[in-house]
Amino acid sequence: MSKTLEQKNTRYLLTWLPLVLLLGSVLFYVILTGHARHMQEKQLELKQQNIWQAFAAGSLPMQIKGEYSITKLSLPVNDAGKIQDTDSGYTVLSKQYELNRDHYLLTTLVTSKEYSHLLVKVFATEIFVFMLLLFSIVVINRKSSKRLWQPFYKTLQAASDYDIAKNNSFAPLAETGITEFNQLNKELTDLAAKNNKAYSNQKQFVENASHEIQTPLAIIRSKLDLLINEPGLTEGTALLLADITQANDRLSLLNKSLLLLAKIDNNQFPDQERINISQLLSSIIANYQEHYDNFPVTDLLIADNIYLTANPALIEILFSNLIKNAVVHNFPGGYIRVTLNGGEFSIENSGMSLTIEPGYLFERFRKGTSDIKTTGLGLALVKQIAQLYGLEVLYTHQNGIHHIKVTFGTGNLPNLS
Amino acid sequence: MKLLVIEDEISLRQSIVDYFTQSGFLCEQAGTFQEGVQKADDFQYDCIILDINLPGGNGLQLLDHLRKDKKTDGVIIISARDAVEDRIAGLDLGADDYLTKPFHLSELNARVKALIRRKYGSGSSVLEAGSLKLDLAAKTVLVHDSLVSFTKNEFELLLFLITNQNRVVSRQAIAEHLYGEQTDNLASFDFVYSHIKNLKKKLKEKGCGDMLQAVYGLGYKLVV
Repeated sequence: MSKTLEQKNTRYLLTWLPLVLLLGSVLFYVILTGHARHMQEKQLELKQQNIWQAFAAGSLPMQIKGEYSITKLSLPVNDAGKIQDTDSGYTVLSKQYELNRDHYLLTTLVTSKEYSHLLVKVFATEIFVFMLLLFSIVVINRKSSKRLWQPFYKTLQAASDYDIAKNNSFAPLAETGITEFNQLNKELTDLAAKNNKAYSNQKQFVENASHEIQTPLAIIRSKLDLLINEPGLTEGTALLLADITQANDRLSLLNKSLLLLAKIDNNQFPDQERINISQLLSSIIANYQEHYDNFPVTDLLIADNIYLTANPALIEILFSNLIKNAVVHNFPGGYIRVTLNGGEFSIENSGMSLTIEPGYLFERFRKGTSDIKTTGLGLALVKQIAQLYGLEVLYTHQNGIHHIKVTFGTGNLPNLS
Repeated sequence: MKLLVIEDEISLRQSIVDYFTQSGFLCEQAGTFQEGVQKADDFQYDCIILDINLPGGNGLQLLDHLRKDKKTDGVIIISARDAVEDRIAGLDLGADDYLTKPFHLSELNARVKALIRRKYGSGSSVLEAGSLKLDLAAKTVLVHDSLVSFTKNEFELLLFLITNQNRVVSRQAIAEHLYGEQTDNLASFDFVYSHIKNLKKKLKEKGCGDMLQAVYGLGYKLVV
């Protein structure tokens, strides 16, 4: 599972920083006790020296409780003097001295309780400081990384707003104050510019190609029109000509649809107006009913005065294609049901089951049937036009009933008036 | 009838000229802008068929030039560009009609004939073909002088066939003529067939069944 940069950063800090601080504390403790011990020993030795000098001068008694004690030795012991801790909380230094050929053992004491108390206090303070350190490092780190990564998040937002087809302006900040981000933004801007160029070249290419194809198609068509009028046409030749004519017309139709798709891609339908789609739908259906002999049984539930703001030519293509689709892919004695209200348009029809995945139905050149009479571009056009105006198209089918729903998005709510 | 075809694509130009010559038109042709301007300036034509993209200039400029010169020749623009703006620009400049490539010659013929009828019609809106009389204003048909009722589509189909009389008109041409250019609709051929069937039946009832002939699945022909 992925985490945000900030979470990740904090997690690393919280994993490693306490370890480092703990290690630091141990080290600090060891060094601190070492220094304290050293200081204690020095102090003890100094005290002993002072006591001995004072004793030697005869101004001190043999013993002061809690400070020192001097005992006269009958025999010198081979002892250089050592520092010991007693159970009663003192640190003790015993050493031999010689005064007037007499041997004395001087034992000096200092309390070690104070030192260990100090040690504990210093150590506790240190722990507190370290905790404070840990807390502030994490907080400062979070704050500063938030600020540092700000340009990155802006770039990210710009990248997610970028859409090669709809919004191809991509302009992250050129100057973020951070070299790496400047570079990132520059690279991304260049990349987007290259993409845009390639995309627009490709779109332009499709449009130009379709345009260029029109003329040879027109020539073939005109020659065929002349040819079918030649005297002495035999039945065999006529059948060949009929096939050629049909293929050529199919090509023309494909080309026209491709050109239309390219033009929508190239935003060549900028003008929009408020269209009464209730009227438009009724007239399209009436028109088809008149033209088709075996028009399916039609069930219309069209609310009055539903408006949509769009290009009239494109909206007509959208609805005609959907209705035609429902008619052409029907079977004799089938039905269509058209519903239009303020929020959506839906069309339902009886028909054969699909031979392709429903998800591919709106792709270019995908056909649900191998019917030679369709181009495979009708629904692609529907999708393209719907996308242009933010309409949502949903296809479902069940038991040979096909259902297409067009939901009018919030961006283009049809207004009732 | 005099016709000027201004089109740079020689093969297409030749097809148009051939078709109209066969229909009894007197055809002139031009392949460039200059040639077109010259011919249009020098003569009066009943109809000029004008391409937009021409070597040496734009067909719309040529049209503009003609209209500024107070020339009233009928003009039909033929163009590979079918954007609404192009169409509007052409019609605004005074073109009488606009046809998008590729088109059927029978459709172009129908447009030319309609233009000529509109522009030079002698007031009578009745079209006669053999025993048929079509009243274009009232949309009524007399067969052997008795009224026969036809649906709107059947009337249009009959008119189209009469305009192209004695020629084979392909099913595709009929479909496009009836259902418009933007019909993404090859399925409509079946419906052309059913219209033809009805038409033939009605003509047969009046003893004119032979007028309408099917030509080997290619199309139909109205013989006068």
